[in-house]
Amino acid sequence: MLEKEILKEFQEIVGVENIDDGEIMTNAYAYNWCTEFVNYMEEKDPIPFSPIPKAVILPSSTEEVQKIVQSCNKYRVKFKAQSTGLGPWNQPSTENSVILDLRRMNKIVKIDVKNLYAVVEPYVSGAQLQAETMKYGLNIHMPGAGPMASTLASHTSMAGPGFTSPQTGYSARNVLGTEWILPTGEILRLGSLGLKNESDWYSGDGPGPSLRGIMRGWVGTKSGLGVFTRVATKLFPYPCDTKFVLNGHSPIYDFKIPNYIRAYVMDCNNFKHLEKSLIRIEEEEIAFICSHMSSYAIMAIFSYSIESLIDKMAFGGMKSPLLVVIAARTKREFDYKQKVMSHVMKELNLINIIGTRYEPESLFYAECLRTNLGYHGFIATGGFQSAKGQCDSAALCLRAEMKNIPLKQKYIEKGVIANDFGEGAWMTSYESGHFFHMEAPTFFDQTNVESVKGMGEYMEESNQMDLLKHLGVPFFIEGDKLHNHWGPHLMNYHKWLRKIKETFDPNGVSDSGFYISGNEGGIEKRE
Amino acid sequence: MDEKEYQKMVKRCVRCSVCKWIPQVQIKSQKYASACPAIDIYNYHPYSGGGKIILALAYEMGRIKPTDELRDIVYKCTECGNCAVSCKYMSPLEPLEIIMKFREKLVDAGCGPMPQQQAYIEAVKKVNNPYNEPHEKRTNWIPDDINLDPNAKVLYYVGCTSSYRRKEMAIAAARIMNEAGVSFNILQDDEFCCGSPILRTGDTNTFEEILNKNLDVIESKGIETVVFSCAGCYDTFKVDYPLSRKYNFKVKHTVELFAELIESEQLKLTNNVPITVTYHDPCHLGRNAERYEDWDGDTVPLMPLVSINIPPKPKRTGSKGIYDAPRNILKKIPGLKLVEMERIQEYAYCCGAGAGVKSAFPEMAIKTAKTRIEEAEDSGADVLVSACPFCSTNLQDGMMDKNSKLKYYDISELILMALGLEPEKLKQAIAEVA
Amino acid sequence: MNKDNFLQKLTKICGSQNISQDPKDLEGYSKDLSFLKGKIPLCIVSPSKSQEIAEIVKLANDLKFNIIPVSLNSKFKQHGDSLPKNDSCVILNLSRMNKILSIDRKNRVVMVEPGVSFDQLVPILKKKGLRLLLPLNPTASKSILATALEREPITIPRYHWDSSDPLLCTEVVFGNGDLFRTGTAAGPGTIKQQQKMGQAQVNPMGPTQFSPFRVIQGAQGSLGVVTWVTLKLELLPSTQKVYHCQSDNLQDLLDLQYELLKYRLCDELFILNNLNLACLLKQNPKVIFELVGNLKRWNLIYVLSGRGSLEKKKVSYLEGDIDEIKTALGITFSEPKVKISAKEILHFLNEPCEKPWRMRLKGAYQDVFFLTNFEKIPKFISLMETNFKEDFGIYIQPINQGTSYHIEFDLFYELEDESVVNIIKEKTLSVRNQLIDNGAFFSRPYGIWAKDVFSHHSTETIDALKKVKKIFDPNNVLNPGVLCFDD
Repeated sequence: MLEKEILKEFQEIVGVENIDDGEIMTNAYAYNWCTEFVNYMEEKDPIPFSPIPKAVILPSSTEEVQKIVQSCNKYRVKFKAQSTGLGPWNQPSTENSVILDLRRMNKIVKIDVKNLYAVVEPYVSGAQLQAETMKYGLNIHMPGAGPMASTLASHTSMAGPGFTSPQTGYSARNVLGTEWILPTGEILRLGSLGLKNESDWYSGDGPGPSLRGIMRGWVGTKSGLGVFTRVATKLFPYPCDTKFVLNGHSPIYDFKIPNYIRAYVMDCNNFKHLEKSLIRIEEEEIAFICSHMSSYAIMAIFSYSIESLIDKMAFGGMKSPLLVVIAARTKREFDYKQKVMSHVMKELNLINIIGTRYEPESLFYAECLRTNLGYHGFIATGGFQSAKGQCDSAALCLRAEMKNIPLKQKYIEKGVIANDFGEGAWMTSYESGHFFHMEAPTFFDQTNVESVKGMGEYMEESNQMDLLKHLGVPFFIEGDKLHNHWGPHLMNYHKWLRKIKETFDPNGVSDSGFYISGNEGGIEKRE
Repeated sequence: MDEKEYQKMVKRCVRCSVCKWIPQVQIKSQKYASACPAIDIYNYHPYSGGGKIILALAYEMGRIKPTDELRDIVYKCTECGNCAVSCKYMSPLEPLEIIMKFREKLVDAGCGPMPQQQAYIEAVKKVNNPYNEPHEKRTNWIPDDINLDPNAKVLYYVGCTSSYRRKEMAIAAARIMNEAGVSFNILQDDEFCCGSPILRTGDTNTFEEILNKNLDVIESKGIETVVFSCAGCYDTFKVDYPLSRKYNFKVKHTVELFAELIESEQLKLTNNVPITVTYHDPCHLGRNAERYEDWDGDTVPLMPLVSINIPPKPKRTGSKGIYDAPRNILKKIPGLKLVEMERIQEYAYCCGAGAGVKSAFPEMAIKTAKTRIEEAEDSGADVLVSACPFCSTNLQDGMMDKNSKLKYYDISELILMALGLEPEKLKQAIAEVA
Repeated sequence: MNKDNFLQKLTKICGSQNISQDPKDLEGYSKDLSFLKGKIPLCIVSPSKSQEIAEIVKLANDLKFNIIPVSLNSKFKQHGDSLPKNDSCVILNLSRMNKILSIDRKNRVVMVEPGVSFDQLVPILKKKGLRLLLPLNPTASKSILATALEREPITIPRYHWDSSDPLLCTEVVFGNGDLFRTGTAAGPGTIKQQQKMGQAQVNPMGPTQFSPFRVIQGAQGSLGVVTWVTLKLELLPSTQKVYHCQSDNLQDLLDLQYELLKYRLCDELFILNNLNLACLLKQNPKVIFELVGNLKRWNLIYVLSGRGSLEKKKVSYLEGDIDEIKTALGITFSEPKVKISAKEILHFLNEPCEKPWRMRLKGAYQDVFFLTNFEKIPKFISLMETNFKEDFGIYIQPINQGTSYHIEFDLFYELEDESVVNIIKEKTLSVRNQLIDNGAFFSRPYGIWAKDVFSHHSTETIDALKKVKKIFDPNNVLNPGVLCFDD
């Protein structure tokens, strides 16, 4: 509960009904997915509850957020901002905190068709934004987390890989003008948004250096460096006809497949050939989706339950599966892309099992276009998270996957993670093959304490392997402990990151549990 | 849902928030993407389906106590089941059943139902209806010219809302059956509340009593088919009753019956009805009206941490609700144009009245209704039509509050118009209790 | 500062043969073609290794002198960003660091040092079937690294995925002397160890939760001295079909290029007015003017490319789609007076030029360039026309996959005519202010106009930039006085 004085101040900002510091509300907000093994990795009880915040606040505008942040500085209460809120990185690291649930900030501020960007507030989901941009023949980049996740959160604060990344890139690289409330309460407007006269959203850089450089990196600061209230994100051409009609009923809707879309699932047989195939196909710049997945994951994306997954034995024996989806607006474009695929497949001796050994439900194509494929990861055990997450060349990604297999199998043999033969991987191409990332979805049972512990230990060991074997930097290197551990191996970046934190958040009010704290040298223990 | 399953499931929410939205692949606009009236109005995460699962878990773990605040959050929910449809698209969780069981636990702990719901439960116990109207006035809706057949094997179960509040619907249903030559009877003084408004509050003990009383009556009369014009009564009899006690008679909603009669030409719709309508799928006729199927299989461990059901366990996804029958009826009405809202069928947005919300949180009921009405207005229709007296009441209340230019008809009234008969103008505009 | 001591220490770091105090050389670094007058630097130091640079920068912190990094000096420098602003400046001449460190065909990436110029790299890449993402006809002797650091727009906007492209990873010495590598180059492991694991330093983001390469880019050497970069490459097409659409109606061309870019139908894509196109095509001023008279005012150039055995099929489908778009827009182009050959256009698109093409007309020029959106382009052109009665060059380049536009106005003049020079100076300053007042975003502010740019920008941005400066260059050692970083 908040002290009376502080509660009153927050109530005056947002209204009595938009702040709740009761036991019920604050406990509910303390829960999140994967919090159990994050707790375990921090040597705490492996329960799915984080420290309980003092209050939950629902601001409705940038001005309200600013005032809240200013009050937090005044009273030295930390704040943790969240929008759609999926994942443990939405959780506070201390009980001396308030959660800012940005649900009421849900406007699509504008869709600028001529300048190919959209401006959104935090609580606009990917599906909502895509549904609106499709009306103009445009598309958005949606993260693998799924269309229910916040577009703003992915672009400003989280990660951002996506199934459509060959054509839509990575969230961090699609950011334009941004409205950002710094931990001190100032409103920083990046790029052209900071112009005094006729400010606009089309650029997030300059004048001079780009402050997007301190805003986020491969991953964002996860509310560790203020609150983002609006962001402009790039739009892309919708890859095919925008008519999106589904008949029938949940879950296996009957999708009226657009004319010019086609899927290929091919077995490259070994990692070397897979690397060659990924690069070769992506050089042709024709793929809308170009992802490598383990055979298990390929089975999963075509399944809607664990039972229906067992039926997909057409893929079961695939050694190095590759999923490619091509889509086109015109017949001539489609004919060309098909010709290219045919030509490349002949060159690489690849066979498409779609249309021969397997025909997916029409719904699969709807899910490709709506980027709902990642959600299938929950089918097996109800819980999953990805180890790894490094991004660079295809070779690095595949080497990381390869080296991970025996490590994963060790934990599979212990019975603490599900058996995907160790290969569980999702790798996608970015920007027509200019870089790739790989993550290793790992299935665990969040209700089974041994599984949770095993998952935590596996994540730690997998991270450590990446460090020692120079396999790049995985996604979840965050928090003081990990930054202090990894920093010395990465040019002491943690010292620079800490300086940024100290400079921009002198009072340390922006919750740094999944970022870095400002105290020089020491580890700020999470409660 | 049994206790074992409940204890397992409350630990499994991954807080993905799909429960707040209609199925992701069905989202056609930003405005009509959401599924859950509770969180749409109250905004805090615990108001969502997943949020209530988290509360259930926190309650089981002893982290929170049964308080008025907890009760209010859990009861500010129409139990529309939209969260369950979205969740179960891929997940085996049962958000709606968890919420219903959570209410049972709160009732057991003396922390529910809401006082206003307690009042109508007492009314049901006393006078067999939640409106606290005299039981003897239950059949006052019957006009003199309606033909009843005391020997009929078809029973028209009118329900409390049509009997006391939406009499025009009962009259319309009866007239149509007469017109089609369907012999039917009613229970007269032996008709009692189906128990739906009580079940949804978590007072399962009272519900069990009512269920048994009703089944004793019907089974004693040798009825073969029971026809309902209320979606709530229909769903309760069809889906909830068999979980406690099996029965031998068939159940049908009037839309199913009337669609069959139109198809077989026992009802000939010849009169022009030149209106543009949009159809609201009642939750209890749509996604929730799907029977539980018996499953005699086994849960087999496939490998550590992974089990499968052999054979696959039937999952109620809302796919077997009654969606086609009312639409087929509307398409057969001459001159009538049917346009669809964005959220329909198993992902239709709730009218806002159900599970005791109309009585305990009338402002939530009206706000929800107004959201749905705006969606109907945006569809381009001039008439909103549905097939449930409870939806009818709340939506019409909402239309009045909003000064909407839409008209509201029950589907039976449109059939009457198409038959050349005048729908009964007995709509009452008083505020509803439950 | 004890000058002898400082020279001694510098000598120890990189050898006396790599330190120059030749007055002619020193004077050369004190001026350029901007309107600024720089100070004479203390000396010119030419290191060959990152480690030497780190030591020099550390020394600068200790002895309190300033460093101005210059990748490749040239008499064509235009913007005043590397002119010494005080009497304590040392020029860090990076031209000895001129290695092409690696070319990776598979991962389409090249690693270069600051001293690598366009004429050095472009032909080598061509032999390997690769190409750089080029700005418009860059000067042959210009540093590729410096160009990338300046966020100069490239001519193929569909490959411009992010404003930072084609820049990827960097190795940099920050203002405190710390060596750092950005993006995946940071580690773990040395570059050799990373490459052994298959890494190619192609991800510019990070390490972890910040992306320091973005603050280094656009900083004009005031936050760090970059010692190598990796840059994106693309595959060389085997066929390039050039389209040159001439029109008196700018809006038609803007509408067409919008559709072409939206659907990613072409490679090179930009609009030039007749004067700028003529300058690109011809060398001689008389011939330039003659050509101007025969070209329509506005010139949209786009290139369709294909590669390998399906090159023709690709171009054919692109042409088909584009014809449909033109029909839908109702755009047709009349026969031009003069047809420019594809060969001539491809020449300036694919090859760097000996001397800056903008100098061909009158020997000198001032470029006024900024970012804007699609709708404002005609407004800014009108504004310029109101201010300048003489002909000036116009270059409209969609960037960042069409989310904004680089507009450039090139004002040509003769350097020898002092009265003209002063008029140009006054007018460009004044017009820049008018442009800013109307929403022009000078995202790359240089020299004398930087102050105006920042005075029209939010104070929060300036404060934040100054904080960043304080972090990475706490003692203001590097190139003081540029941007909003006061001397």
